Amino acid sequence: MKTKYSAEERWRLGGLPDPAPLAAAYIPMQESVQPQYDAGKALSRGTLFPGLDLPFMNLVNPELERTPMTELMAIDFVVDELELYLDTHWEDREAFELYQTMLGMQKEAKERMVRLCGPICQTDQLGMDAYRWLNGPWPWELCERGEG
Amino acid sequence: MFVYEKKLQYPVKIARPNPKLAKVIISQVGGPDGELGASMRYLNQRYSMPYDELKGLLTDIGTEELGHMEMVAAIIHQLTREMSSEEIIRSGLDTYFVDHTAGVYPTAASGFPWSAASMAVKGDVLADLNEDLAAEQKARVTYDNILRLSDDPDVTNVIRYLREREIVHYQRFGEGLRRAMDRMNEKNLYIVNPSFDRG
Repeated sequence: MKTKYSAEERWRLGGLPDPAPLAAAYIPMQESVQPQYDAGKALSRGTLFPGLDLPFMNLVNPELERTPMTELMAIDFVVDELELYLDTHWEDREAFELYQTMLGMQKEAKERMVRLCGPICQTDQLGMDAYRWLNGPWPWELCERGEG
Repeated sequence: MFVYEKKLQYPVKIARPNPKLAKVIISQVGGPDGELGASMRYLNQRYSMPYDELKGLLTDIGTEELGHMEMVAAIIHQLTREMSSEEIIRSGLDTYFVDHTAGVYPTAASGFPWSAASMAVKGDVLADLNEDLAAEQKARVTYDNILRLSDDPDVTNVIRYLREREIVHYQRFGEGLRRAMDRMNEKNLYIVNPSFDRG
C-alpha cells in the first residue's frame, strides 16, 4: 500500500490535505460503495453501507418480512442511497454500474407491484381498464397494499 | 415538479394505538428539527447553490425528507386511531386534540406550531452546508430521545430507520462541503461568497 499520497490523492481518498486548512469543517470522503449490505438488510438498517451504520445503543432492526411491497421498497431504497452517493461521487464508475443494475431491477419490481396492487404513480395507469388511482389502502393506512 | 409515489420509503404498521407516544413524536413532523423543516431547508437552499453537485444533493435529500415527513405523519395517524375520550385525557394528548382532533398538524411536541424560524437559508455555500450538517445532528438527537421514550417495536423500528438516514445525510453533506471547498479559493476559503459573487 502506498504511504505517500499527493494532496490531490489524499483529498480524493478521504484523507486531509497537507496541511489541512484552518477554519473549515472536514468530513472524510467515503472511498467506495464496497462493502455493502444486500437490499433487504440495507432497508432494515437504513443504509446500504456498513461503515455508516451507527445504531443508537447498538440496537438494530430485524429484517422486514418479505412481501412484494417490501421487496420493491428495498430495491427503491438502494436506488435512493446510490443516488445520494453519486451526487458526491459522480466519477465513481463502479457505483454508476451498480446504479444501472439496480434501475433495471427497480423497473421489473415496480411493474410486478403495479400488476398486483394497482398504480404506484398515476401514469402507471397506461393501458388500464379504469381509473384505479383512488383505490386504497393509502400508504399511511395500517393495511399495506398487496395484503388482506 | 414533483410526482407522488403511492408508497412509503419504509413500512409503517403500528398494531397498538398510543396517543401518549404520538404527543412526543409529532415533533418530528413539525418541530424545530423535524422532517418538514428539513425538507423546506434543503429545497429552498438549492436556488443559491453555485455548483451542480450541491443543487443535486439538496434536491435529492430535500425530496427524501418529504417522504420522511409522510412516514412520521403515518406514525401519528396510526398511533391516534380509535381513541376514547378517557384515553385522550389520560395520555395528555387532550391539549392537541382540542384543536386538531385526530388530524396530523405540523407542530413541536411543546405545542409551538411549525415555524420557518427553525431553519435557515443564508445564501452562502459554507454557511448553508454547515447549517445542514448541524440540522442532521439535531434531528438524529431528537430520534435518539424518541427511542428513549418508546418501548413499542412497531414504532422504534421506524424511528431507528429514520435516525440512520440522518447519519447518512450528514456524511453526504460533509462530502458536498468538501466538493464545494475543492472549487473555492484554496488559499482563502472566505475570499468571496461564490453563491453571490460571480465570475
